[in-house]
Amino acid sequence: MNQEELNNKLAEIKDKLIAIEQPVDNKIWFTCEAENSYEINKFLFEEVPLRFVIATGIDSDDCFEVLYHYAYDETGCMVTLKAFIRDREKPEIESIAPFLPGAEWIEREIHDILGIDFRNHPDMRRLILSDDWPEGVYPLRKDAKKPVSWPDGEPSSRPTVDSPSRRTVPLSKPVLVVGPFHPLQEEMEFFQLTIDGEIVTDIDMRISYNHRGIEKISESLQFDQVPFLVSRICGICSASHPLAYVQAVEELAGIKPPERALYVRTIINELERIHSHVLWAGLAGHFIGYDTVFMWAWKYREPVLDLLEEITGNRNNYGNVKVGGCREDIPNELKPKILKDMDEIEKKMDMLIKAVTDDPILHARLKGVGVLSKEDAIKYAVTGPTARASGIAIDVRQDDPYAVYADLDWNVISQPEGDVFAKVVVRLLEVIEAIKIIRQAVKKIPEGPIAVEVKEIPAGEAVGCVEAPRGETFHYVRSDGGNRPVRHKVRAPSFVNVPSFKASCIGQHIADVTITLAAVDPCYSCTERLAVVDQYSNIIHDYDTLLRLSRERTAQIKKELGAPGLKMEDLQIG
Amino acid sequence: MSWKIWSLKKSPWVFHVNTGACNNCDIEIVDLLTPKFDVERFGIKLVGSPRHADALLVTGGVTAQAAPRLREVYRQTPKPCVVFAIGACACDKGIFTTGYHMVGPVDKIIKEIDPNAIIAYVPGCPPKPEAMISGIVKALAAL
Repeated sequence: MNQEELNNKLAEIKDKLIAIEQPVDNKIWFTCEAENSYEINKFLFEEVPLRFVIATGIDSDDCFEVLYHYAYDETGCMVTLKAFIRDREKPEIESIAPFLPGAEWIEREIHDILGIDFRNHPDMRRLILSDDWPEGVYPLRKDAKKPVSWPDGEPSSRPTVDSPSRRTVPLSKPVLVVGPFHPLQEEMEFFQLTIDGEIVTDIDMRISYNHRGIEKISESLQFDQVPFLVSRICGICSASHPLAYVQAVEELAGIKPPERALYVRTIINELERIHSHVLWAGLAGHFIGYDTVFMWAWKYREPVLDLLEEITGNRNNYGNVKVGGCREDIPNELKPKILKDMDEIEKKMDMLIKAVTDDPILHARLKGVGVLSKEDAIKYAVTGPTARASGIAIDVRQDDPYAVYADLDWNVISQPEGDVFAKVVVRLLEVIEAIKIIRQAVKKIPEGPIAVEVKEIPAGEAVGCVEAPRGETFHYVRSDGGNRPVRHKVRAPSFVNVPSFKASCIGQHIADVTITLAAVDPCYSCTERLAVVDQYSNIIHDYDTLLRLSRERTAQIKKELGAPGLKMEDLQIG
Repeated sequence: MSWKIWSLKKSPWVFHVNTGACNNCDIEIVDLLTPKFDVERFGIKLVGSPRHADALLVTGGVTAQAAPRLREVYRQTPKPCVVFAIGACACDKGIFTTGYHMVGPVDKIIKEIDPNAIIAYVPGCPPKPEAMISGIVKALAAL
């Protein structure tokens, strides 16, 4: 479907809408009343069909709004459905989670922070706020105040999984509890795996440990200060989040940054992708017992961090993008060094890719493990390498090109299998593509200024998307003409990728769970802290046990295959 | 110097607690273990349980949901132990000071249950691995 056919298709639903706006060709804004939202959402998701991105809840003066953001990846078109809930006393709207499991979490989140009820939602437990947060206090309402004191230790009336007295499964079933301090997750999730023998039969999750209330803090900062905040959403995506935000504001205000700034942005974002993917490859090696890969990968990552430090002044948290351009330029003297470092890294990566993809043990260990089918990937609306490894070749850099990606020659990597091995291959090959992009960008970067002057940000709303290492980062910004955003919604890629564990973990061996959870790259936190004892079923498993199980399985496969140990002389180390 | 403190200063084993950090301090801590910095040379080792640890490396400004868990981890750590508040957030909540879900910083939470806790601060956003090593060396020398 091209843009025109899409427009015609979307017009089929127009009787149900209050208004349709199309300020630019590939951004469409629908408005409707809350009563019609279910039907329109079903039409958009199932019949058009669009990819669900996220929903945003907003407290505007006289009503609540729920914005459903959809993307059409073939043309890079963003469709936003805005539903008004007029009843402020008892805000209610029909849940879309029954047909769209990817919306389950966001509806729980909107309920937590704004107090909007979602009718017929399958699971309305608390998600984003802490267990002891008082009921009836909704932090993102405009009149909300920070609660002075939390009731001490008194659990919320809506049960969560992470409170032993409120376990969601009968105690007769063995349960393996993972977390809350868990090495694999940025957001310190808590997993509860129900197991039958060695097989995982169900998985439940709890987040909130890392909820810092960034969206609310953002409303108290000026437009120019927000990039510093959003770069600290995730330390490994600290170039992607500010860029997505800045692109949203630039679209809102109609600002065109100078060409050179776009090149600088591209180079920094691709450097970030290299360091993130290599970091992931190392940790993935660690989880299946290949510590050599862990040490190598992290060693090869260091030159990238050094380059970033030389350009921006910091190894992470670059703080380099601003509305209208960039803060720091890439000095021309640095260009030869960047190219030389890229050659070095490419050599090492070739070696690493060969070592990983030719290894029969890794094939046996990772192929067919943690499969996320294409259908599930669409239902859970996953993005980034997680989607691309399930045969969905979406990539914001190609679908809705930003910075200078459209002018450069590179490929979107995708694999049809959906298993952990496919995810490894996608990430490693993406590193090679990133190196290719950086080389071209360094050679083509034009002379000129790196920023334009920005006067005022007018009233309005806009969205910005960036392909972060983990997937599509989505920012929605609304301005009322003042100097601060009135609403700033952030959708990090892990927010949609993590719930897909429900599809990929069930039916797996416990020994495969660590690597399956890791395969999504849910923003690693650190190494081993997953120690938990289940006092109810007398099964004691902790992180070390899981890691041991995982490694024993690798050793067993190795034995079965009769494979020789890895010999140093087989590999070119130079 | 008591023998307990003396033994704490040699080869400290550390346990890493993320209480709502952005991951930057955390990846830099892991970076300490990898070839470029390799602190295991000095006997500094990341362990999987607070019960094995001499020191806690705490990152993040402590969210409401993480605070009870941080207290529990501190209770489980054998005393005497050193708590390192790593990064601007752990030291004073950093950029997230005004967040509604933040109850930290780290020293406030730890001192609620142990007013005499030994707390060392490594500021930076994130502190460089070199800064962390230097912080650990200085703190151990001051014991």
